[in-house]
Amino acid sequence: MSTNRKKQATVNSKMHIKHKLFAGYDLWLLDTALLLMCIGLIMVASASISIAAKEYADPLHFFWRQGVALMIGLSFAFVIVKVPLQFWQNISVLLLILAFVMLFLVLVPGIGKEVNGSMRWIQIGPFSLQTSEPVKFCVIAYLAGYIVRHKQTVQTDFAGFVRPIVMLTIISGLLLMQPDFGATVVLFTTALGMLFMGGIPLLRFFAWVSVAFTILLTLAIMSPYRMQRLMSFIDPWKDPFDTGFQLTQALIAFGRGEWLGVGLGSSIQKLFYLPEAHTDFVFSVIAEETGLFGSVFIICLFSFLVWRAFVIGHVAESVEKYFAAYFAYGIGLIIGIQAYINMGVNMGILPTKGLTLPLLSYGGNSLITYCMLIAILLRIEYENRQDTRNIVQKVVVAYA
Amino acid sequence: MIIRTVQPQYPLRRWFILGLFMCGMTVLISRAAYLQLWNKDILQEQGDARSIRVVEIPAHRGVITDRNGEQLAMSTPVESIWANPRKALDDAEKLPALAKALDMSIKDLKDLLRGRVSRDFIYLKRHAIPDVVEAVQAIAIKGVSTLSEYKRYYPAAEVTSHIIGFTNIDDQGQEGLELAYNDWLAGESGAKRVLKDRLNRVIENIESIKTPRPGKDLILSIDRRVQYLAYRELAAAVKHHRAKSGSLVMLDINTGEVIAMVGQPSYNPNNRGGLKSQFYRNRALTDVFEPGSTMKPFTIAAGLEYGNFQPHTRIDTAPGYIKVGEHTIRDMHNYGDINVTKVITKSSNVGATKIALSLEPKKYWEALNSFGFGQLTGSGFPGESSGILNSYNTWSDVEIATLSFGYGLSVTPLQLAHAYSVLATGGVMLPVSFIKVSGTVSGKRVLPESTARQVRKMMETVVSSEGTGKRAAVRGYRVIGKTGTVHKSTRGGYSDDRYLSLFAGIAPASDPRYVMVVLIDEPRGNGYFGGVVAAPVFARVMEGAFRILNIAPDNLPAITSPIMANRPDLELDEGFDG
Repeated sequence: MSTNRKKQATVNSKMHIKHKLFAGYDLWLLDTALLLMCIGLIMVASASISIAAKEYADPLHFFWRQGVALMIGLSFAFVIVKVPLQFWQNISVLLLILAFVMLFLVLVPGIGKEVNGSMRWIQIGPFSLQTSEPVKFCVIAYLAGYIVRHKQTVQTDFAGFVRPIVMLTIISGLLLMQPDFGATVVLFTTALGMLFMGGIPLLRFFAWVSVAFTILLTLAIMSPYRMQRLMSFIDPWKDPFDTGFQLTQALIAFGRGEWLGVGLGSSIQKLFYLPEAHTDFVFSVIAEETGLFGSVFIICLFSFLVWRAFVIGHVAESVEKYFAAYFAYGIGLIIGIQAYINMGVNMGILPTKGLTLPLLSYGGNSLITYCMLIAILLRIEYENRQDTRNIVQKVVVAYA
Repeated sequence: MIIRTVQPQYPLRRWFILGLFMCGMTVLISRAAYLQLWNKDILQEQGDARSIRVVEIPAHRGVITDRNGEQLAMSTPVESIWANPRKALDDAEKLPALAKALDMSIKDLKDLLRGRVSRDFIYLKRHAIPDVVEAVQAIAIKGVSTLSEYKRYYPAAEVTSHIIGFTNIDDQGQEGLELAYNDWLAGESGAKRVLKDRLNRVIENIESIKTPRPGKDLILSIDRRVQYLAYRELAAAVKHHRAKSGSLVMLDINTGEVIAMVGQPSYNPNNRGGLKSQFYRNRALTDVFEPGSTMKPFTIAAGLEYGNFQPHTRIDTAPGYIKVGEHTIRDMHNYGDINVTKVITKSSNVGATKIALSLEPKKYWEALNSFGFGQLTGSGFPGESSGILNSYNTWSDVEIATLSFGYGLSVTPLQLAHAYSVLATGGVMLPVSFIKVSGTVSGKRVLPESTARQVRKMMETVVSSEGTGKRAAVRGYRVIGKTGTVHKSTRGGYSDDRYLSLFAGIAPASDPRYVMVVLIDEPRGNGYFGGVVAAPVFARVMEGAFRILNIAPDNLPAITSPIMANRPDLELDEGFDG
């Protein structure tokens, strides 16, 4: 271990590494992720003070819980950056099985815990496991492995495409049974994106995308109530006290923010006007308290994360580390898709559904899962660098 | 180590996805800029419409105190619980807890909320006690909140309730002086613009629109200590005699101030649940009665003033009755040939009748009218009755005869006390005041001082050992007064077994300060004569009042020589000051 580190230190001596602990890792990625987590912790505290004081008689109730989750997430990440990527490739099928087990178990009454009409949680001692979050990790890992194992069939054969799609459909079905519509959309889209990157023939891909889209649309239309709720985002002011309530309150938060915001802690919308202010709608509170400056900054940070993940994936691909490459693409996709959808929902350009903002929103499972995904990215980049330190620089420069 | 590099197989696909994300980023940033810069005015307006409210700042209602600054009515801040029915019904699972906290059945609560579901504001509990407020706040049900208001509290409760009256739940005077002086006592609510959170709690005061103007305080002429005493003694007498009701009025003759005014039965203004409005009536002002013998001093005064009578003028009352028209007017006994003074002392109806009949009706009416009979006292008390004194145009001889001893007209206890105060002041009538008076009060002279003095002197014999009102005597003081035992008029004539017991008195005799009228309505058992039922109340209250008000005795036996005692016209009190 220590020899390893020494070696890295010499390897990276040309690069200006300030922090020894993170020597050899992508500091841009690390710093961006840490910055998002810190902003998240502060904003969760700010957005939840009133509701925590009311519901739990402790204004920092959510802050402490988020802090503990962050510590757990960071310790997982510390372990994961040390684990060779090959390990995940070896157990990728196991991870899928684990995902299925969790998704089945959560639907079993007695094991799964029903909250607000959804069976999304498994209680393990003092912890609540939100199954859809680790499932994201498992499915991405599995898919990356699958594409590597069946590269040829994926790219040419129909069966190579159908198999993961069937697997995804089952997982989506299980998620919809919870129901967790948001996670379904994010996971399905991510998977499609990974297959797309994996080289599925375009015609087949778009055919399937339109089929999937049609199915989703049919599901929505078949339930007019859901449809109505789903489409209320188009004109939330039509019924601002019922279906449009949450969104109008979020939009008001944006309007209050102006250029630089009303100031940290000074949000009015979080004072019970905006439901889920510290979870799904934390972005609105950020926009209110820190203004356009803050909201654009967050958008840019997420965009940077996505770009960085794709660069890392690209480098991995260029050194023929395909598992790493697809894993990296998957991570970039899921972070980007979930973050963009969440922010789009906050600003009323997408229908409202329960999705958190990765690394920022309150929610331990989501935070820990994204910590792990970021750690995987760091590990991929680390391994890339070990193999190709000269090329990395070239590639990075090329994309920078 | 061999380092191989390969070109990725699908470079365009990566660019395609990154391009999509780039588009997404552009859309998000544009949307943020649109909302936060372009659309901000409309959004902020919408936000303000939801969170900025104009709230009323309740104004403090003025305190009512007695003449010494003791509080008789005060406003204390309380919380009222209100609800937005629609929101509260949405939070259905907390409704049972709310119902429990409010001490309602869940069905009643739901009915209440459903019945007014279209409103945004209904009261669930006005002026709730702190425990209830705390319990409701702990439930934290949606759409239920509290509101600051003032609740009126009356420390002296039933002792002063008839004078002070009460306010309704909206702090508006409903009865008594609370009603009469409502505009004076009531403040003017202010208003402020505030920022509220969605639970309707004020987060921030934005601006003051109008500062509240607190109501002004009211200092009454009442002396709470005397009032307590009067209440206690009257209540005891009413109970002892199993009477229907009672009233007591005490006036300061120098100022026209009401020092004490109590009524029985009374009520507790702090807890009026289930009370009927008849309890609210201030009987000393609203209830009229025929004054009976207590009227005689005024007949005598009229006789002295407008007739040829002097205190020593002799009147033959034999054989103890007199026929007027078809009616016979009787005395208790045959008093024979007596002087005018004795007419009062013995309360002779025949004597009074003879005096009244000898007067010109118009003059007699003017005299009675000038004492305030048939007129309001000027107290300004809501619902005060003026009593009835018919015009002399309609008088027959019988009416004049009955008027002379107090039948055929009606007065209120306050009116009677007011009339006695004219005798006490030496012929000057001052307006009655419930408000503390400062400085001297100018009155209207209605009787020459000498006449008033003569009548007083004659009345002093009433409270002598031979008079009807000897039980009104106060140790150490000379008291003048008149008893009255009135047959109550019922349908179809005067009742034989239902009486009013009256005593009207002035004290101290040497330098009159106070007038008091005591009325006990329908005493049952333990006697019914005014001298037996009402006079002792007078004595006890007056005695206590003298002590409380620090009035020097004018009849101390240890110092008063027998000669002095026999010459009550001597002004002795100066010798006993201090």
